[in-house]
Amino acid sequence: MNLAFIAIPALAAGLVWTNKNKSIIHLTNLAGAAAMLLTSILALVEVNRSKIITTGGFFKDIFYIDSLSVYILFITTLAFFLVSLYSISYFGQELKRNVITLKKLKLYYSLSNAFVLSMILALTTQNMGVMWIAIEATTLASAFLVGFYNNKRAIEAAWKYLIICSVGIAFALLGIILLYYSSTVELGGNKVIGMSWNYLLQHASALDPSILKIAFIFILIGFGTKVGFSPMHTWLPDAHSQAPSPVSSLLSGVLLNTAMYGIIRVMTIVNKSLDSSRYTGNLLLLLGILSVGTAAIFVLVQQDYKRILAYSSIEHMGIIAIGLGICTPVGIFAAIYHIFNHAVTKSMLFLATGNVYLKYHTKKISSIKGLIKIMPVTGVVFAMGAFAITGMPPFGIFMSKFNTVAAAIFSKNYVIAVLLLIFLAAVFGGFTKQLGRMFLGSNNNPEINKGELDKIGPAVLIILFCITIFMGVYIPGPIKTLMDNATGIILGMGGK
Amino acid sequence: MLESILKLILQILITLLIAPFFTGVIRKMKARVQHRVGASVIQPYYDLIKLFKKDLVVSETASWIYNLAPYVYFISSVAAISCLPIVHGLTGFSFYTDLLIIVYLFVAGRIFMALAGLDTGSTFGGMGSSRELLVSALVEPALFIVIITVSARAEVASTNVPAIYEFLAGNTETAFTPMNILLSASMLMILIAESSRIPVDDPSTHLELTMVHEAMVLEYSGRHLAFIEMGSYIKQLVFMTFMANILIPVGFNVGNTFLEFGIYLVKVLVITILVGVVELNTVKFRLYSIPNFAVIALVISILGFLTGFILK
Amino acid sequence: MYHNALNLMSILILISAFALIANKRQNSYIPTFRFQSVLLAGISLFVSVREMIASKKFDEVIIMFVLIVVFKVIIIPRYMKSTVEKVEYKVEKDFFINIPLSMIICCCLVVLSWYVIYHIEGITDNHAKNYLIYSFSVVLLGLFFMISRKKAIGQIIGFLVIENGMFLAAMLTTEGMPMIVELGLFFDLLTAFIIMGIFVFKINNTFESIDINKLKNLKG
Repeated sequence: MNLAFIAIPALAAGLVWTNKNKSIIHLTNLAGAAAMLLTSILALVEVNRSKIITTGGFFKDIFYIDSLSVYILFITTLAFFLVSLYSISYFGQELKRNVITLKKLKLYYSLSNAFVLSMILALTTQNMGVMWIAIEATTLASAFLVGFYNNKRAIEAAWKYLIICSVGIAFALLGIILLYYSSTVELGGNKVIGMSWNYLLQHASALDPSILKIAFIFILIGFGTKVGFSPMHTWLPDAHSQAPSPVSSLLSGVLLNTAMYGIIRVMTIVNKSLDSSRYTGNLLLLLGILSVGTAAIFVLVQQDYKRILAYSSIEHMGIIAIGLGICTPVGIFAAIYHIFNHAVTKSMLFLATGNVYLKYHTKKISSIKGLIKIMPVTGVVFAMGAFAITGMPPFGIFMSKFNTVAAAIFSKNYVIAVLLLIFLAAVFGGFTKQLGRMFLGSNNNPEINKGELDKIGPAVLIILFCITIFMGVYIPGPIKTLMDNATGIILGMGGK
Repeated sequence: MLESILKLILQILITLLIAPFFTGVIRKMKARVQHRVGASVIQPYYDLIKLFKKDLVVSETASWIYNLAPYVYFISSVAAISCLPIVHGLTGFSFYTDLLIIVYLFVAGRIFMALAGLDTGSTFGGMGSSRELLVSALVEPALFIVIITVSARAEVASTNVPAIYEFLAGNTETAFTPMNILLSASMLMILIAESSRIPVDDPSTHLELTMVHEAMVLEYSGRHLAFIEMGSYIKQLVFMTFMANILIPVGFNVGNTFLEFGIYLVKVLVITILVGVVELNTVKFRLYSIPNFAVIALVISILGFLTGFILK
Repeated sequence: MYHNALNLMSILILISAFALIANKRQNSYIPTFRFQSVLLAGISLFVSVREMIASKKFDEVIIMFVLIVVFKVIIIPRYMKSTVEKVEYKVEKDFFINIPLSMIICCCLVVLSWYVIYHIEGITDNHAKNYLIYSFSVVLLGLFFMISRKKAIGQIIGFLVIENGMFLAAMLTTEGMPMIVELGLFFDLLTAFIIMGIFVFKINNTFESIDINKLKNLKG
């Protein structure tokens, strides 16, 4: 199974170059994505049965899957599968309009496979060093995807993304070096396993708390840059708005979670070593509320619908951080639940913007009117998605946001709860004010024809929309088990 | 007491004798690299003798400061070198000698020279004075940090030269610690700036726009100029001695005073050659780049301080 | 003696980072960076040879030595040089903050890193503490260098300096991380460097300059 995880995307990335036929390239990638989704579902079933998956041989101290990793892995592959399906429509249109060449299409597919490969690697390893390498590799694989259109804005966004993320993540490496130093000093110099978070978690009480504290700050800053926490978020709106929509959807729905996963792993070690979640909790609460606040302010002044969604991603990462920072079972569960809801809803929204962009060729809110009349499916899904993402019932996001606020109140973090509610209200206001103009009214641009561009794009949106609603009303049994186990792992009890 | 006075006189005589030699070495090096034969290394001595024989030309507008300044400059330099024994064996005479006194002696000499530069009312003199004071004000922080660092060691805790020498005599291996290497690098830069060498100042130029020290002493001639030159040679030697004895105390305490003197000469010669190498490989900075040079010296000395005391 | 020499070499790496910040022109960044890499290679050789003499068996750090020499001392500076030659013809000032001020800021950064690391009680080994301070300072200086330069080349060099700082930390405090991690790290960062190089060309083609001040389209 460990080989399948690595081999499928690698194979797909290579195979797309071997063919000249457009539809075969699309299908190769789609088959790869489907195979990945299947593998992760198999892994999910396996983990639900036996808690962990390990392996022998050379990768013994490197490969490791438990409920938390398989949960995010499942989200990753699910999102990638749907995005692959959507890419057929999106890049088919772009090819038709001669915006991109066939070679660029191949480049897109192989890089997006490499991107997913590096995320899968980060999620299936227990070695912190390898995890760091994989997360840095996500930046490298997606830098060209962000600058895909090669125009001034795209290149600027890609350069910012590349520089800020590579530099930010350097601090995470320093943190990991400190952790490893602590493990070699306190636990003896067992080389490869000394970097395993699993091993460090088991021996957490032997590690030195003062080193762990500093290491956690470094790692929080480092991976936090990649997550998009507030002072380090500057790359995020640019990269998300300039990348092609399928890429934005992967960046927002999947990449941010992977980076968050790195923080969660270190957090559990530090919490166990300090025997309290106060230290990590306060830091996460601070960064979380800062991110939500920043997003709330910036959403109000945006002119570009993709940038609004990008700031909303910062907001949601902040909410997840708050859930983790509260660190009660309810809070953690809310954070875990929110990861899924955010990934699905935000992917859906970004894909919807893809349809809008293909139709209007602009990202300006002011030049779009009467979207629901012109593109019935996309328009409705976009509008409902905007309601969902700001936390309206009955969608999944509402449930997890509600749980987060409830957890904050139950754990007596009243200030956090009040601030969070104010900021969420501000975001809701911003979304309605800004995006509301797009949907209603009538079109006054004669060049825009009525109707969707094709069938696959809207179909993907409808699938995602169904998942969003479904997760708000009912969580399927296996996933519920998985989420409970993951919560246990983060709290440092169950899981094993 | 008598012994102390004898040692003092000996120290002054020796330094007066050897000081011009090192400038001669630098000039010779430069000439050789430029494929010239160059003047002999003892040419500075001939120059001094020649200047002593020449008549004085004094401006009519000059006041008493102009006539007094060369002597103050020379005497302050000699007083400075007498604070800093060149070998460990000559330490006995220094009861009041302190590293800070050396700095103040230089300031006294420099103030007089600057006033004298202004005194005659010529344009170059004033310009030279202002530039000279600028340079010295810029490198002063670095100099102070070097002095504080060498004297702040727990075993010394004093700027008193005999106390520092006493410590160094027992710890000659400190020459190879990172702290001393950094301080030496900083000191070399201070030496270059203070003794008016390239890249801060060009001692051999008489081009209006670039000269600093030369502009200040442009009006002087004859005996006065000889004293000023001699004062400059000795000042340069003070910095070299500081480096050789305090920052690089290799072979500082071998027991035999003559051998120590030999080692001292070799070290100063090496420093001279280093200055020469720097001079050959750089071009003179613009005046506005001198702050950069000074700040780099300052930063290196601060790093030396950090490595010596904080990063322990 | 061993620690004295390592101490000196890591201080020299720190000094070379200072020298980089004191540099005014893009062309002189590359030799300074190369000098720093030579020092880093020297440290890796030193560590590995000592380890091999002590344990009488093959030490993996020597592979790092070879990689550093081949890539950081030879290939990367050459590639950088050709990039600079292709991209930029004019010699211009390349900094926002004047040099004296930036040197003083860098001194403050060194003190800051000392302050942060000195107060970790868990690091009982004084040498490890020192090395961490030096390498952390190099990382901060690299970061400052990136912030204070206008040209894309300066940012790449800053990134490489940060990278050197990280290798320094890994090599001196933990005597090398597991080989698989070190190798992954090395090639990861090498790829990052190559991609940045490609982007420099792209920026030059699109903006007709590599002045990142011109990258101001996206705001807010």
